[in-house]
Amino acid sequence: MKALKLFLLPYLAAVVAAAFLWPEPAEGFIGQSSRIVFFHVPCAWTSTLAFLVAAAYSLAYLLRRNPWHDEIACAAVKLGLFFGILTLITGSLFASIMWGTWWNWDPRESSYLLLVFLYAAYLFLRAAIDDPARKARIAAVYALFAAVLMPFLVFVAPRVTASLHPQTVINPQGKILMDTPTRAVFFGALAGFSGLFLWMLSLEARTARLRRLGRRA
Amino acid sequence: MSFAARAWAVCAKDATEELRSRVATLAVLFFAATALALTAYSIGPFGLAEEDRPPLQAALFWIILFFAAATGLPRAFVREEETGTALALRKTLPGSLVLAGKALFNFGLFLAIAAVVVPGFLLLLDWKVTAPAALAAVVLFGGYGLSVVSTFLSALTARAGQRNVLFVLVAFPLVLPLLLTAISGTLAATRGADAWTPLRVLIAYDGAASCAAYLLAEAAWED
Repeated sequence: MKALKLFLLPYLAAVVAAAFLWPEPAEGFIGQSSRIVFFHVPCAWTSTLAFLVAAAYSLAYLLRRNPWHDEIACAAVKLGLFFGILTLITGSLFASIMWGTWWNWDPRESSYLLLVFLYAAYLFLRAAIDDPARKARIAAVYALFAAVLMPFLVFVAPRVTASLHPQTVINPQGKILMDTPTRAVFFGALAGFSGLFLWMLSLEARTARLRRLGRRA
Repeated sequence: MSFAARAWAVCAKDATEELRSRVATLAVLFFAATALALTAYSIGPFGLAEEDRPPLQAALFWIILFFAAATGLPRAFVREEETGTALALRKTLPGSLVLAGKALFNFGLFLAIAAVVVPGFLLLLDWKVTAPAALAAVVLFGGYGLSVVSTFLSALTARAGQRNVLFVLVAFPLVLPLLLTAISGTLAATRGADAWTPLRVLIAYDGAASCAAYLLAEAAWED
């Protein structure tokens, strides 16, 4: 993880610099607003990745009943919420420039807000149960159940109604609508944010384990 | 006995208990009737412009159904904990079977709510439904999904602190895709538009929720 940390610092600095300097602003967007795609979409992707990691470790917990798996799942949900809130903030910035309002209840915007609520409920559920083993089991069951229904919130419900949200990545044509420099920086940012998530996950989960061992000692 | 017969026995047990006290049924139906009366009193059949009525009525219809259901459906597992019968049920039946039986009972309770709310909307709010069969299908599939998810979450929150508040906090984001789709389907049914797309989404949601609940029931219900 130390090697990942040392790699991520220059890598993400290069991605941020490239995001502002290399690709031309996309057509059909006001000013430089299209550059938000290099931060907004990777935040959304990392948030979704975090919730999938939480589901995978929740399943591992139910199969093995190892508290370490529960700690990783809980850490992943917390980070997923962190990146989810960043997604909402960056989306709101974009909306204020493009549509003249910070929040307009667009189906894609609203569904992401509800996704944040969905996983905030995971933390409320944990907080309401005292016994550590029961807390871990119930939280794992909820995380898996939420993971099954999450696609309906993120991918299906917003598409049942019309949306203003740009469809540069996920669209009915099944194509990524970007030129080569934009695409290179975009995928570079996706990889960088994913690496950042893995590093933060390792820190958060190890801290939780130390707390558990400290309580036991 | 087959799985279906034993699940039906759990449902019949819950129905017998409910018929003795009638607490959940009366609370739920009273809530539905009050919410309906309040809606009819505040907007009535002519309180809105004709073109504004269908979307607002569709949204109000599902809001009333959801919150009326939220007062009764979470009691499925809470009642077992309160009466001290949860342990006996755990020792004698698998979790998936208990969940199926209780979801069936909750679905019946939801249909009772719908039996009050649908005629109430038609009579008090001058609700015009162009495609009644589509509306019936949306109510049935929407109600089924709501019952399964509520029953499953009831098993998760039954032994947690502040369970009533917690249930709404946990349930609302999970059932929201279903509610949004059901509102969209209801709107299509009232306008005579194509309701098949929202119906397909509802069926997919119901299938996914049922499978996930069935597979996770043992872990959710174990002691």
